Amino acid sequence: MASRFAASLARYALYRIGLTLPLLLGAALLIFFAGRLAPGDPVAIRLGDHYDEKAALAIKKQLGLDQPIWAQFVRYITGAVRGDFGESFISPGRRISGIVRQTLPLSLRLTVLAVGSAAVLGLTLGIIGSISVRSAWDRALQVLVVVALSVPNFVVAALLVLVFALWLRTLPVAGISGWQSYVLPVVVLAIAPTAYITRISRTSMLQVMAEDYVRTARSKGLARPRIIFRHVLRNAALPIVTTVGLAFGYTLTGSFIVEVIFNIPGMARVGVEGILQRDYTVIQAVVLIYTSLFIFVNLVVDLSYALFNPRIRY
Amino acid sequence: MMTRHGLWALTALIIAGALASGTGVTAAPTETVFRVWMVGDARSLDPAVAADFPSGSSAFLMHLRLVASDATGKIHPMGARSWTVTGGGLVYTFDLDPRAKFHSGKPVTAADWKWTLDRVAQPETGSGAAQSLLGGIIGFGAVRGGATRSLAGVRVVNPTTLQIALDPDGRGGFLNRIGSYQLGVLNREEVEAGGRDWADKGVAGAGPFKLARWERNVKFVFAANKDYFLGAPKVDTLELVIAPSAVTRLNLYDAGQLDLTDVPLADFRRVSGDSQYGNQLKIFPRAQSLFLGLNGPVYEPFRDIRVRRAFAQAVDRERIARTVFLGFYAPAYGIAPPQIAGADKNLKVLPYNPDAAKKLLAESGWAGRMPPLEMAINPAAPDYQMVAEAVAAMWKETLGIDVRLQRQEFAAYRAALNRRNVFPSFMQGWTATLLDFSIYLDQLLDSRSGLNFANYKNADVDKLIDQANSARSESEREGFYRQAEQIAMNDAALVPVVFTRWAVLVKPYVRGFEGSPLSLGWTDLNGIEVRR
Repeated sequence: MASRFAASLARYALYRIGLTLPLLLGAALLIFFAGRLAPGDPVAIRLGDHYDEKAALAIKKQLGLDQPIWAQFVRYITGAVRGDFGESFISPGRRISGIVRQTLPLSLRLTVLAVGSAAVLGLTLGIIGSISVRSAWDRALQVLVVVALSVPNFVVAALLVLVFALWLRTLPVAGISGWQSYVLPVVVLAIAPTAYITRISRTSMLQVMAEDYVRTARSKGLARPRIIFRHVLRNAALPIVTTVGLAFGYTLTGSFIVEVIFNIPGMARVGVEGILQRDYTVIQAVVLIYTSLFIFVNLVVDLSYALFNPRIRY
Repeated sequence: MMTRHGLWALTALIIAGALASGTGVTAAPTETVFRVWMVGDARSLDPAVAADFPSGSSAFLMHLRLVASDATGKIHPMGARSWTVTGGGLVYTFDLDPRAKFHSGKPVTAADWKWTLDRVAQPETGSGAAQSLLGGIIGFGAVRGGATRSLAGVRVVNPTTLQIALDPDGRGGFLNRIGSYQLGVLNREEVEAGGRDWADKGVAGAGPFKLARWERNVKFVFAANKDYFLGAPKVDTLELVIAPSAVTRLNLYDAGQLDLTDVPLADFRRVSGDSQYGNQLKIFPRAQSLFLGLNGPVYEPFRDIRVRRAFAQAVDRERIARTVFLGFYAPAYGIAPPQIAGADKNLKVLPYNPDAAKKLLAESGWAGRMPPLEMAINPAAPDYQMVAEAVAAMWKETLGIDVRLQRQEFAAYRAALNRRNVFPSFMQGWTATLLDFSIYLDQLLDSRSGLNFANYKNADVDKLIDQANSARSESEREGFYRQAEQIAMNDAALVPVVFTRWAVLVKPYVRGFEGSPLSLGWTDLNGIEVRR
């Protein structure tokens, strides 16, 4: 039985991975042409106020920008398949693989910390809300959720910096220098996902609590924590897990702002600078990697459904 | 397995730890560290291709130039301890300082200088500044065209003597140009051994600071070159802290994580009125002019000099300096800022005169039938937008013209500006990378220049610029430039509005900081002392 389940899971996983290939190719195509079609070019940025036609032509030739667009695309795709995104167009000699190696771990750490804390806190608050429904606690929580979802993260960031870095001086203003420097960016990234997970957990829990089998469990005299954690939570898990997966995407996009505000040398900031400077190779790598990450997390979420609900078969 | 109580206890411990350990910023080190703001990461540490502020600043610190100039533009010895000029002002013979050494310990010789200059001229190096810096040297055209790789005009006489012969038509401002940070001497062996990314390793320099660490997008850490032959810097370590957001930089300064930072225009009023900063606020002039370009080939009315003059005379630059910039910026009476040696302080720019402006527009026949006008704004700094809004209001008030302001992203703006046939009018600034007239006149007003964004064309101005470049003395050269600038201002080739200034905050324990009016590179930081 178990081996049959494992085999079907593996088959489904392979099928889904197969589906991601055309998706990634489409994304790669879109990223490539969106970058090239945007007005502006990296050579003009690189030369700045020293713009000179001859120098511009020489640089274009070096970067291969004088070749037809399809040839550039083929070069990009064949490189990307091998995991080689070439060199930065703005910083001569700088390999994209090096940039990714330096910046991706930091961005992932921030994202995982933010999603992890949002999941733990959101679930806890959701449970509290659902077991104390319509109480003062629950109402206060509802208000907080609305506030957290409404205030943009750059405003939250500015307020937190003012209070904790400039008034209380308990946390650094910006940069990454020790574990303390993770606190503010992670909090800013985690606030909205926490609120969202809280809301979904509460609603999902309340729905399950109204089911007959919960009433049966209660009438059997089972202890409340056992009912909540054994019976309710497991059955309420699917929407919560989906939301956590979505929170990952939200946090990845949120990091584009948060890394700039907190001066964090992560991949999102490199991506923002790449876009502003038309550093095509950097943009292509950053967007493709983030797209792949998002697809991967969604796949994991999909596959995890079967663990929470044994009735789900692939 | 951890109990619930255990989890709470752990959480409480973590929070208590965070509060107890303070900011997480390392305690004041025993060695002297000077921490300065940097607006972004450097694109390259190869001085030859440095065109952005961070790359230029790093090049300035790490590399040795033949000559240097101070904040007033006065030239003084650096890699060369003296020089003689012969051949009717066309041959410069530099007596190189034999004490100069690369960071690797190898002595700097005339061959290193020749190799460096040849390399900058070679097109595959990709130096945009090569033409303006080396264009006057004999043989530059041949190297640029790929016929040879060696500048015929640069000759190694002996290990400590370098001779440079100039083309009679391009001799102007030579010492100023040769002292540019892009021409810092490089150690050929280290460059060639370093591979394609040699520059990232921070090697091959001979300047007062050596790169100790480059934490990408975080900071540069420079160590003082204790063997620097002109005197080791007074601080042990110099950190350039990378913080692209001006607000973050000010916060870092307030939190004690920076010793020197810039003050964004938006915060200038608050900072200057805040007693906590006391005399930490320093203001110094910047060789930058903000001007309007009126592009005749794109917008037909601007082909008529009367229309251009009408638009120029409808701009009240005194009012803009006084009310928009609260007196922080000065009205611009020319295109070259006053810090440029020989700049004409009595230049007669077309004065604000609304009646004359209306009359000129009426005479041109364009009054009442002007096509819609768009003005593109350089988005790089907020002051460009402030000038553009004020000017648009003045043109509407005086000439009845509706101007649509067009603000776009920098890369798109810059590419369109370079094409020169896109914007009917634009709001732009120009900052000196050298305190030399040519940066403004040769680049912005010569009809043969690729940077003449407004497509201004006047044969007399071109001729005067040629004469300036072939002038036998600096005073003669400045005279030609002043004449050229006056003609261009009369033609309303560009409409200068304001000259800008820098505002910085410097901690009281920092001594010896002097601002530089240049856009790229600092004043020498060798003399900075940090006494906490």
